[in-house]
Amino acid sequence: MTKNEIFPKMTEAIVAGDRKAARALAEEAVRSGLDLPEVVEKGYVPGIQKVGELWEQGEYFLPELITSAEAMKAAMAVLEPELNRKGVGARMGGKIVIGTVEGDIHDIGKNLVASMLQAGGFEVFDLGADVKLEKFIETAEAVGAGMICLSALLTTTMVNQRRFIALLRDKGLRDKYRVLVGGAPASGKWAEEIGADGYAENAVAAVKLAKSLAGHS
Amino acid sequence: MTHPLLSLAGTRTVLFDGALGTELMARGLDRGAAPELWNIDRPDAVREVHAAYFAAGADIVSTNSFGGTSIRLAAHGLEARAFELNHAAARLAREAAPAGGFVAGSMGPTGIFLAPQGPATEAEFVAAYAEQARGLAAGGVDLFIIETQYDLREALAALKGAQSVSRLPVFVTLTFSAFPRGYFTIMGDPAARSAAEAEKAGAAAVGANCNLTSEQMVGCVKAIRAATSLPVVAQANAGQPVPAADGTVGYSQTLEDFIRSVPGTVAAGAGFVGGCCGTNPDTIRAMARIIRREEKS
Repeated sequence: MTKNEIFPKMTEAIVAGDRKAARALAEEAVRSGLDLPEVVEKGYVPGIQKVGELWEQGEYFLPELITSAEAMKAAMAVLEPELNRKGVGARMGGKIVIGTVEGDIHDIGKNLVASMLQAGGFEVFDLGADVKLEKFIETAEAVGAGMICLSALLTTTMVNQRRFIALLRDKGLRDKYRVLVGGAPASGKWAEEIGADGYAENAVAAVKLAKSLAGHS
Repeated sequence: MTHPLLSLAGTRTVLFDGALGTELMARGLDRGAAPELWNIDRPDAVREVHAAYFAAGADIVSTNSFGGTSIRLAAHGLEARAFELNHAAARLAREAAPAGGFVAGSMGPTGIFLAPQGPATEAEFVAAYAEQARGLAAGGVDLFIIETQYDLREALAALKGAQSVSRLPVFVTLTFSAFPRGYFTIMGDPAARSAAEAEKAGAAAVGANCNLTSEQMVGCVKAIRAATSLPVVAQANAGQPVPAADGTVGYSQTLEDFIRSVPGTVAAGAGFVGGCCGTNPDTIRAMARIIRREEKS
């Protein structure tokens, strides 16, 4: 298959959430020696973008979003080792540490955001739920992340997002990281008020925001 | 024989209570702690909240067991205590109920997804909800309310679980968001189909709670009303949470905003109304006034 034939098929595999097809097409791209960064950029990324649009339009819901993110992961699992072998980083987006703040055990939304960020080209370090605020910083320092995403589902735990910013300031690390907040009670106004770098309403918006903050769209 | 509660609903609008967790937090429940633990550790506080809702005019209160499936409790390491905590939840509400007051056994989502989106199986859900229902029934609830469900499959598994251990009526409410094409759960279940399927599976009443403001709830109730012959339940949020600078959290709808849509909700076909996040005994007192006034006119 030529690029013009295979790219739309890749896009379609992601939109359809077809994991097998997404993987098979990635394998074929590797076999035929296609330019792999271009494969990611023009084959798969438009698929996940289209999924985001369908979600925003209320045409796609969580199941579709999850299966599409899984298909994206399946393709990247094939492409990533090849890209790394050629010395081209597959995760052009950078490193992100994500978790649900301490006192809060809700992780469905956070998992989805982590999954979509990964599908969107970021290297994601997911710390799970009920994560101690110090742990976010320790991990970010250890892996060299540029961004930290805090989720909170409860009005009673979202205050930990504010505490986190204060903690970063106390440690003199506030300017080192971009801090994004999300979760049902959070809002753009809340992010602004607590001095976070951004808020995203859903997983799709989170990827857009992370990309714009990372300096590429 | 028709259940007394359903008979009552045939004669007038029946009033549920409002938010429970925030009322417990106002009494000192720690952030992140399992509220169900207070059924054993702070029974007076739980009873007091139920009593406040009854005093405000609620006909039914929901037990402090929203996160009481063993699957949900496992997040707090409390899974082995599911029966005990649910039993206590039911007993406390029962003790707070005046004559003619009803107790609904609250059954909220497990917090995990069914396959293929998550690790859970339908059989696991049925078993977990059955265990919860057993505890609630033993503690003396009059009915079950499976609520805040975001996946119709989980709601139906919960219904099956409750039905497997008890013949008490089961109410089912799901949480919908408003989209240009209508009202859907996050999993994409439309309100109308959810109501129809819950009815087919044997629910005694169906409806919507959480997320929607009272204004949005009117349209959602209409959609559900058109799809089922069952009584419709509506428990809206008082808008969206708005954190204040002092760390407290308010809601975007004022009490006046919230109750303004109550007559519309009833007119749209809701037979059971109440409140969800952001509501309190004052909300229920105001709703009671509206409902009782309408009955007189």
